[in-house]
Amino acid sequence: MKTDAISLSTVKKTFVAKHAKVEAVKGINLQIAQGQIVALLGPNGAGKTTTVDMILGLTQPSAGTVHVLGQSPRQAISSGQVSAVLQTGGLLRDLTVQETVKVIGTMHGRADRVREVMERTGLTKIAKRRVGKCSGGEQQRIKFALALLPDPDVLILDEPTAGMDVMARRDFWQTMRAEATGGRTIIFATHYLEEAQAFAERTVLMSLGRIVADGATEELRHLINGRSISATFCSEADAQQALGFDESIVLTEQQGLRYHFQCTDSDQFALALLQQYRGRDIEISSPSLEDAFIQLTKDAS
Amino acid sequence: MMATYIQVEFARHFRDGYNLVFALLLPAAMYILFGNIPSYTESDLGAGNVKFYLMISMAAYGAAVSTVSIAGTVATETMQGWGRQIAITKMPPAVFVGSKMIVAATVAGVSAAIVFALGALTGATVNESWIWGVSYLIILIGAMVFACYGIGVGMAFKSESALGLATGLMVFFAFFGNVFMPLEGTMLDIARFTPMFGYVALARYPLLKDIPEGTEMAPDPMWMMATNLVLWAMIFAVFAVLATRRVKARQ
Repeated sequence: MKTDAISLSTVKKTFVAKHAKVEAVKGINLQIAQGQIVALLGPNGAGKTTTVDMILGLTQPSAGTVHVLGQSPRQAISSGQVSAVLQTGGLLRDLTVQETVKVIGTMHGRADRVREVMERTGLTKIAKRRVGKCSGGEQQRIKFALALLPDPDVLILDEPTAGMDVMARRDFWQTMRAEATGGRTIIFATHYLEEAQAFAERTVLMSLGRIVADGATEELRHLINGRSISATFCSEADAQQALGFDESIVLTEQQGLRYHFQCTDSDQFALALLQQYRGRDIEISSPSLEDAFIQLTKDAS
Repeated sequence: MMATYIQVEFARHFRDGYNLVFALLLPAAMYILFGNIPSYTESDLGAGNVKFYLMISMAAYGAAVSTVSIAGTVATETMQGWGRQIAITKMPPAVFVGSKMIVAATVAGVSAAIVFALGALTGATVNESWIWGVSYLIILIGAMVFACYGIGVGMAFKSESALGLATGLMVFFAFFGNVFMPLEGTMLDIARFTPMFGYVALARYPLLKDIPEGTEMAPDPMWMMATNLVLWAMIFAVFAVLATRRVKARQ
């Protein structure tokens, strides 16, 4: 059996702030096999960045162990087997793009890859520009280039598309797809559900320092059974009646006479809505990852 | 690894110029002004003349300020997350700090060398030529003490303007450290406890060593100068470590 790319066992991280202890990560177990593409999904404060920092050896866990390809994080970094796109900052504004890539390339001992990486990430055109003059999207591309320099087996990206507009984001994932070949393990933290949905085969959902769900991205969507259904009623009374259709009906949202429900048998319910309860403008949808997410984080707290 | 980093460091400091103007040109300009315009600067003093004395003062000030402004960039870079970026490469942190020190020492060395060259050209003299070399070395080595001060202030205040504050305070330290003009009485007594006093006094020692005790301009006892320098070096080092740790703990 191959060694896991990432293995965290009962990892905890506690920060000591001024007067209180903050438990950023409250004991998580996570095994990621080599070659997997995994999204680490969660809102701000879920502990994603802290988890990434521990995987990279930037922060020491307060308890538990972290292994990257069977080694300590520092060993994996030193051997160039793992690299990362860090979330905020990480670049010097007064260096040029070229200088930045060259300096970090040298620090990885891979100055030979500078030209190739710059071309692949589309930085050649802006090589002479100062980092401080680059747009947010361009700066993210520079950081992506830096992460590719050591030609890593495991690539970790912490909110890689933060600050990018829609176009830049699409371009980024296109480049990313090209890099995701050859058995490279990719783990990315994000709070964009669409990114997890579009790119990750497996999604790990984090909330308040815990893993609240972990599975195939597709399965996660099915974690919430049934469908969402919404309709506009003619009167309150009709709506109240509709709520009593069967036991699975749950009211999720209400705006005036517009009601949103959850139900298991949406076909029968829709029929009843039209025929018995005088409902109009009926919409039926399968739950998005976002719904699943809200549901699961609610359950966890 | 180190060579490339140092090369890029120089490139960016030269491009940004601002810091370097203060570090390189200000001490030189001050030496020209205060060392050459007043008439008394040709007078003998210790093993040389007043010009030599002023040359050492300005060179020491320049070297210390250069060190502060370069070393302080470690702090602003950490704020920008550069330290984290470097931490995920092969390069050990010691090489990063080492490179900075080399750059700081080089700029400090150049700064002091400019003042010394101007001194040599405008008549700063000393009757034993080894004093040139030894004074220069003391200036250069002593200046490194202020690297920790620069890092500490940068980390404590977490902004680029903090660096301006750090170098600005150096002017105050210099006045109060007997660097720019000779202090007397109570002022001098207080000055003996300020950070630049021991440093500049040691740098002047080779020039003033033969002036008999009790006469004007006689050097302070060696233990006093050395204690001042060592104590401040320790204070700055602890300050830098504490400030850095505080920043790191928040990340």
